[in-house]
Amino acid sequence: MQPLGLTRSTDHMSANNDSICPPEHDSLIVKQDDLILVTGAAGFMGSRLVENLLNRGFRNVRCFVRPSSKLSRLEEICDRRPDEARIEVVKGNLGSKEDCFLATKDVAVIYHLAAGRGEKSIPDAFFNSVVTTRNLIEASHSHQCLRRFVNVSSFTVYTNKQKPRWRLLDESCPIERHPELRGDAYSFAKVKQDEIVAEYGKKLGFPYVIIRPGHVYGPGNEGITGRVGINTFGVFMHLGGSNRIPFTYVDNCVEAIALAGLKRGVDGEVFNVVDDELPSSRQFLRKYKRHVRTFKSIYIPHAISYLLCFLWERYSAWSHGQLPPAFNLKVWHASWKKTYYSNRKLKEKLGWKQIIPSAEAMRRFLEACRERGLHA
Amino acid sequence: MLKVAIVGCGKIADSHASQIQRIKGCEIVGVCDREPLMARQLYERFPIKRYFSDITELLTEAHPDVVHITTPPQSHFELARLCLESGSHVYVEKPFTLCYREAERLIALAAEKKLKITAGHDDQFNHVARRMRELVQSGYLGDGPVHMESYYCYQIARSGYAGALLGDPRHWVRSLPGKLLHNIISHGIARIAEFLTSDSPHVLAYGFTSPLLRSTGETEIIDELRVIISEEERLTAYFTFSSQMRPSLHQFRLYGTKNGLILDQDDETLIKLRGNMFPSYAAKFLPPVINARQYIGNLKTNLKTFLARDFHMKSGMKYLIESFYKSVAEGALLPISYREILLTAKIMDAIFTQLDAKDSQIRPVYI
Repeated sequence: MQPLGLTRSTDHMSANNDSICPPEHDSLIVKQDDLILVTGAAGFMGSRLVENLLNRGFRNVRCFVRPSSKLSRLEEICDRRPDEARIEVVKGNLGSKEDCFLATKDVAVIYHLAAGRGEKSIPDAFFNSVVTTRNLIEASHSHQCLRRFVNVSSFTVYTNKQKPRWRLLDESCPIERHPELRGDAYSFAKVKQDEIVAEYGKKLGFPYVIIRPGHVYGPGNEGITGRVGINTFGVFMHLGGSNRIPFTYVDNCVEAIALAGLKRGVDGEVFNVVDDELPSSRQFLRKYKRHVRTFKSIYIPHAISYLLCFLWERYSAWSHGQLPPAFNLKVWHASWKKTYYSNRKLKEKLGWKQIIPSAEAMRRFLEACRERGLHA
Repeated sequence: MLKVAIVGCGKIADSHASQIQRIKGCEIVGVCDREPLMARQLYERFPIKRYFSDITELLTEAHPDVVHITTPPQSHFELARLCLESGSHVYVEKPFTLCYREAERLIALAAEKKLKITAGHDDQFNHVARRMRELVQSGYLGDGPVHMESYYCYQIARSGYAGALLGDPRHWVRSLPGKLLHNIISHGIARIAEFLTSDSPHVLAYGFTSPLLRSTGETEIIDELRVIISEEERLTAYFTFSSQMRPSLHQFRLYGTKNGLILDQDDETLIKLRGNMFPSYAAKFLPPVINARQYIGNLKTNLKTFLARDFHMKSGMKYLIESFYKSVAEGALLPISYREILLTAKIMDAIFTQLDAKDSQIRPVYI
């Protein structure tokens, strides 16, 4: 089968279903043979999500990947499960309406993980996150068989200001109303992506759930999050200090994403995803240096980082963008302000449980970092 | 107030909108993109009056004096033609058109309609390029250039755009006559074209796919190019495009009968090369001192420009747009002559024709 405009690198990779369907099957909106689409399926989270779904007994998974994606992770998953489960790998471009139409045919649940990560330009990030999401929604709506669209967003959409419960960031917190002033293409695109999903939800009665993970870490994403600090001209500026870092280990996060697409009665809901025990930035950095690599870091107290961001923002405006507004008060609030996080809603409504304990998750992460020989 | 519009709301449109904002006496009356979401995102981020997804609506409802075309090159000709037909002056992003013939037709149409058109060769107008031009015009080179060397390199590994291109067999860059080269080299070729005196120089091109790209299975994209341009045994030029050579230069070397100049776009430095040799051991000691002083002078100039808030990464684009608007509003000379635009297109045509021909004119001789 070769749909128009799409190329398939590996059609119908066979896979073995050696897992047991969870007992809460009646509370799910899909059956084991229903078709599930995962976009960004070859990526850090996508490949694990495919495995998670297979482990839950789902036997019909369509994986949408970019033409340039490496398929080694997906192939490993297939190798481990060589039986009746069907994994269909579709190579295509979500910027193409035709590709989206073909990819969403007969699909009951879409997990939309593909995004314009790493884009420095706002138009590029916007196209790869928002236009693609709109294409996917319209295509799936035209087939009239979709039961749930899971939009994977990010904590970056929150302003982290004027929170109803002071320092606690949860799903009720305000979204950035002027993401264009954040100076960060990814944030802008993610805010707009959430907006378009909600807009279509309202306009078409489109069934969706939004998942907002904190910083997803684990083998495959070994970098140090900017919430801890940034490496500038060879010196690591530690900006997090005693702040809790909203980590979620990749397997824990994927568990939440999987549940968001399956559970009955959560349409239109938003869920933040963080693990239970969150280390402070200082604790994380200490462990990283002890287990991975030592390097020089300078702690910048919050008051100083606030002042520097303020000055940078003012200078950027005064000089008409001679320095781009990469650092500004919106970024400071979102990244370095002292904040606490909650996963209560996730547990209560989705029945999420942390499957990899925080200590074990951190151990695996640090080991992967050491193996990769990465440094800050 | 000059009414400006932008057609095509991708990455480069952001640079245009940012620079137009910095120019007094103009306003962006509309932006347009076939994809309404793209038009809306630009409209939401800049002081722009309206957004459109149909160029005809933009032209009839917003009545722009000048339209910037910032779409992929395949649509430049048709969009620019529409704008000229409806009475707007046009700024076309590089590469100006797909071929010389299209460039010629657009320029003829602009002349017929008594309108103006320019190409987005903005690297020609950054601070250091303007300093170089002034020196050349002051006669520093002597009786004009004898030889030129233009380096315009590109680090494929560092570019997200290249990653998307290499991974996607349907990427729009692949359908350009010169593929990757077509979208990049016009800046470096235009530098040479500015100083050529003949309208029909001789062009010899040799290009190949680098071993790095070949190792990824790429066979279509040429990312290494060497060109020799010459006119009537008088003036010669070398053009180099490379994705592999380090440093990844953006440099222009100009040698005259008296002196020479080296322009480095990345460092924003301009170094004068003295034509006369110093006698004896002075030749070993004085030039390093003179060069050191020149670099310090460049540093001072750059710092001064930075402190004056005029050292933006796209300062060349601002200058070019401003000069074009002045030409439109006050009847001043065009910043880029039509001859230079046509010559650039002609040289690019000659390069791509040779690369396309299986039987390349240059054959390496193995000794």
